Amino acid sequence: MERMFERDKDELRSMGVEIEVKGLDPLFENDQGYLIRTETFQLNGNEFASDELLYLTMAANLWHDSALSNDSKGALLKIQSLSGPIEFNVFNSPVVRDNENSQMLTTAFEAIEKHKKLSFKYNGSQRSVEPLGMFMRSGFWYLVAQDEKIIKSFKLVRIEAKISTEDGAFLKPEGFDLTDYLKKYTEEEVFEAEILVRKEQAYSLRSRHSVKEYDSEWDLMFVPYNYEPEIIENLLWHGQNIIVRKPLSLRNSIVSRLEEFING
Amino acid sequence: MVDNAAIRALRTMDLIPYILENPGISISSLAAKFSVTEKQIENDLQLIFMCGLPGYTPYELIDIVFEDGIVSVIDPQVLDKPRKFNKSELIVIALGLQILIDINKSNPAQLAKLQALSKKISKLGSSNLITFDPVSTNSVFLDHIAKAISEKKHLEIQYNSLIKDKKTRRAIDPQSLYFLNGNLYLSAFDLDVRSDRVFKVDLIEDCTVIDYSDHNNLSEPTKLFEVVLDVKKSHRNFIERNSSVISSSLEVGDRFEVHIQISNIEWLKRSILSNAPGITVTSPSLFASELVESANSVLALYQA
Repeated sequence: MERMFERDKDELRSMGVEIEVKGLDPLFENDQGYLIRTETFQLNGNEFASDELLYLTMAANLWHDSALSNDSKGALLKIQSLSGPIEFNVFNSPVVRDNENSQMLTTAFEAIEKHKKLSFKYNGSQRSVEPLGMFMRSGFWYLVAQDEKIIKSFKLVRIEAKISTEDGAFLKPEGFDLTDYLKKYTEEEVFEAEILVRKEQAYSLRSRHSVKEYDSEWDLMFVPYNYEPEIIENLLWHGQNIIVRKPLSLRNSIVSRLEEFING
Repeated sequence: MVDNAAIRALRTMDLIPYILENPGISISSLAAKFSVTEKQIENDLQLIFMCGLPGYTPYELIDIVFEDGIVSVIDPQVLDKPRKFNKSELIVIALGLQILIDINKSNPAQLAKLQALSKKISKLGSSNLITFDPVSTNSVFLDHIAKAISEKKHLEIQYNSLIKDKKTRRAIDPQSLYFLNGNLYLSAFDLDVRSDRVFKVDLIEDCTVIDYSDHNNLSEPTKLFEVVLDVKKSHRNFIERNSSVISSSLEVGDRFEVHIQISNIEWLKRSILSNAPGITVTSPSLFASELVESANSVLALYQA
């Protein structure tokens, strides 16, 4: 019974509840008792204004249909314990839909917080990595981790089978900052494509870039880009309504892709 | 998770402030909210009934009433507020606020409040090790659409269709808003073509509430096409992004054999061509030939 009591106290402490052991009765100082101070585990009732509670609800509710649904639900319960029933409107605000594995996300989050190594299979090989952070891009989660002294990004949906934490902790590389890492990751050289756009076509491009009259059939447009495969995908979407003039390398890539597609 | 004493203790600590803020709530609603059985909620309420502060006289006990499946808290003693958010809950809130900030860039009043709240949440201990790229959707019609969904109003939108490559005006019954693959979409019933449609919110160029007399949302039967694709591993993004229309995907060496069931064949044509030569059509052969013909027409422009 005593062991069970000790185990339950440890469990509560691991869940963030601070338990003090002290003499609670001034007349019997040697009698020890347990005290949990409400201010150590409760939210302050006046911490958030009513409009803030509404935004918190919207923020937590965004994830209720995603792999983070359990944490979203937990947060919503606490918010509604401060705000009471929420206006129906809030639940018509956007939600995030994803195809991530919730167990994988939770394991990765915990490993990042506790500096635990992670092991998983990726691109056919077994990895043992030091997780440093996570980011979401275009609706997909990526794990930033040190793998054999190199910091890399791993797309979570491509992790094969199970992800698990290893025993022991690791030291975060000195000076690592996720925001700086992501900036370097995205700061690529910007190029410019000179393209012809058929008149009265490719409206999605026209809404983002200005055009000049070229001739009776075509308009001229300049489109900035930093990743060739991405702009090729965007331009080929418009089929016969786009011709790339410059740079030549981009034009040639499109031609060779089309030839390979046609010749099989 | 195994329902041990500690978990049960925490749930009771959560139940009391929740019932206090939602008086008269039913046991069945509580069970649904806390993801446990009604029997478990009843057991928790029995436990709460016997808890209180030292002294343990009726004046120090938590005063809770539950009758006919309805629960109210009269005196919560000190358990009148919820527990603090844990680390994962703070992450979910912080990321959610960041998205709300990104999509409200054109609304300065809301933006300032959201930014202030985001700072407050980060002070409570949300992690800066988990983040995401800014959401590019910044529609001035977002509030308008959300309101129309809540009030069950119909909308007329001017839509810049990526697939048809033209601007169209449509009368719609808006259903829900969601983010997928980093884009914000509106799921709606198109009242003119009597079918469900999905619209990319940043391509909506105009939006007004209309009074549409026909409230019949019965869909016309949709014809689905079955297409088998050969997708190179280097183009598996296509599979990851379009999992909702993919019925099966089998890895074979450095490729995937992908079976798709789709009603919008024009979308598939454009998707395959824009991923050329990473995706090819295995069947039907007529569709494969049609795509090669389209690719030939584009190539001819470069050879002219």
